Amino acid sequence: MLNILKPFSTWIIIAAIAAALPLIFESSFALTLLSKMGVLIIFTVAYNMLLGQGGMLSFGHAIYFGLAGYASIHILNGIGEETLPYFPTVLFPLIGAIVGLFFGSIVGYVSTRRAGTAFAMISLGFCEMVTAMTLIFVIFFNGEDGIQTDRMVGPEPFGVSFGPQIEVYYLILFWVLLTVALMYIITKTPFGRMSNAVRDNPERAAFIGYSVRRVRWQAFALSSMFAGAAGSLHAINYEHIGFESVSVVQSGAVLFMAFIGGAGHFLGPIIGAIGLTYLDSTLADITEAWLLYLGLTFSGIVMFAPGGLAGLIVMHGPIARTNKNLLFSLIKPYLLAIGSVITGLLGLIGIIEMLYFRSLISKGEGEIIIFWTEFNANGILSWLIFIGLILLGIFLSKRTFPVAKESWDNAISVVKTEISNE
Amino acid sequence: MSNSLKLTNVSKSFGEAKIIKNLNLDIKKNERHAIIGPNGAGKSTLFHLISGHYKLTSGKITLNGDVINNLEPHQINRKGLARSFQVTNIFPKMSVYENIRCGILWSLDFKYSIIKLVNKNKELNKKTNVILQEVNLQHCAHLPAGLLSYADQRALEIGITIAGGADTLMLDEPTAGMSNSETERAVNLIKQISENRTLVVVEHDMGVVFDLADRISVLVYGEIIATDTPNNIRKNKAVQAAYLGTEEH
Repeated sequence: MLNILKPFSTWIIIAAIAAALPLIFESSFALTLLSKMGVLIIFTVAYNMLLGQGGMLSFGHAIYFGLAGYASIHILNGIGEETLPYFPTVLFPLIGAIVGLFFGSIVGYVSTRRAGTAFAMISLGFCEMVTAMTLIFVIFFNGEDGIQTDRMVGPEPFGVSFGPQIEVYYLILFWVLLTVALMYIITKTPFGRMSNAVRDNPERAAFIGYSVRRVRWQAFALSSMFAGAAGSLHAINYEHIGFESVSVVQSGAVLFMAFIGGAGHFLGPIIGAIGLTYLDSTLADITEAWLLYLGLTFSGIVMFAPGGLAGLIVMHGPIARTNKNLLFSLIKPYLLAIGSVITGLLGLIGIIEMLYFRSLISKGEGEIIIFWTEFNANGILSWLIFIGLILLGIFLSKRTFPVAKESWDNAISVVKTEISNE
Repeated sequence: MSNSLKLTNVSKSFGEAKIIKNLNLDIKKNERHAIIGPNGAGKSTLFHLISGHYKLTSGKITLNGDVINNLEPHQINRKGLARSFQVTNIFPKMSVYENIRCGILWSLDFKYSIIKLVNKNKELNKKTNVILQEVNLQHCAHLPAGLLSYADQRALEIGITIAGGADTLMLDEPTAGMSNSETERAVNLIKQISENRTLVVVEHDMGVVFDLADRISVLVYGEIIATDTPNNIRKNKAVQAAYLGTEEH
């Protein structure tokens, strides 16, 4: 019995931890945040079927997420008003999946005729079109206000009404585990492998018998299907859907999460969805400049770690497998490099916060709290301190980064010789 | 012997430029056929036409009796024609093993399945190992293909080309850029994999061509000026004038 479960042990542990989280973080804020993370994990992993697995950069994947949300809200309302027959809330993501699959198949049929820049532009065009429609077809989308619903409809099997947030959290958790497992399995199927092959080299894929367009279309449709399931859960979670859920902003957010987390690895988007949702909810309250920081993080990742956070982790895999001591020897140079960057970042954040403060908030006053310390944004000293930190950070980075990189190069070359000696 | 590949009055123009002119070519079943010719003669264009990469301006191409010149590359591949490229054309981020395995998928009728698992299929993985052995790449099966040496990448590409079980193979300059020992290894590999298959090869190295080919066609400015056995090609005056005489070989 236990032997059968062994290959799934990681999954079971993760599921158990996720199920226990509400017991640890009891506040309603935490529960809302966890629910939101769950929805976005499904959406981001679905999106990565296109970006990471299939090599298609879409700027419009919120269409399938949002439209599935609208459909779910209308059906919930229909059940509530008894114009539609009862449908169990637990199975609503299936409705979203069908809606996503339907629209994804149509749009995908058109857009996957092209690849690269043309594909990205088409996706952007469709996204703008659907966003515009939400404001035009008021009868379905209700314009800028969006639509409200009440998720407590119909009978309550086993006393579960999905009224309390905790019940919604477990509903979302169930679907996260199911869909992420399915999407993981899909990467191991002939279609999943050929999706990678088409990403790497479409010409070669055609000459081993596969229609590149068909592979891309299928990836697009499946990705939209899972995005639709996420959209349904989004609607149930908030009991509201608005035009922003189909917009370029939502599409961009999922791209950010997938890319910062690491599109090249299956787990990357999950890291991205959890991390960015957390920062979005917490930092947005602390600083006005949150979006600027997000943009800077994104630029930094694109420039210095194109594999995303998961890429940074995965590149240490071979070292960890061959020689643990090598991995430990990297800790010191890494900490020094990270410390240098943080020094510079502290300075940068100070400057940004003071600029924001002076131009938007202060009305002439100077006192501002940055890093739990009071600074005077009108005095030259505060500026000098932060500029000094930036310069110090740059100075230190120039020394510590080459050392960190060299340590990694050394470790990798040791690993390579050990492997070739085997 | 029956024909494997037959080209009838094939022409290809890019704008005003006529690259291939009324070309006729019969390639017999299970022969090793080399196409040689000076740079710019249209050899690679000819390959692209046969494999469906380019569309014909006029003419007809048949593979084992079926017209293929109106088909897409993947459809031509499914009819039993596989090719390699002049520039190495593999899946660089995937492992060597996966490169080969992807090459096999269609021939085992996996199509676009999302319900079968590639790791669980015994036949697929057994066949992958057989091909790996054939092209001698077992030692690096789990390395990303992009990390292999140039010669190994070329061998891998041949592996992908034969993986789908095609009966007609087209190799575009398979030994270009290789050292002498690498070339020797590659030629042995090509000889071995082309047993009981039809082989069409474009090659600049005359040593390789005369060693490998049963028959040779000489392509000059879009026209075939001679098709014959290696010995007769060597003696052919027109070929000597147009090609062999002008280069050191």
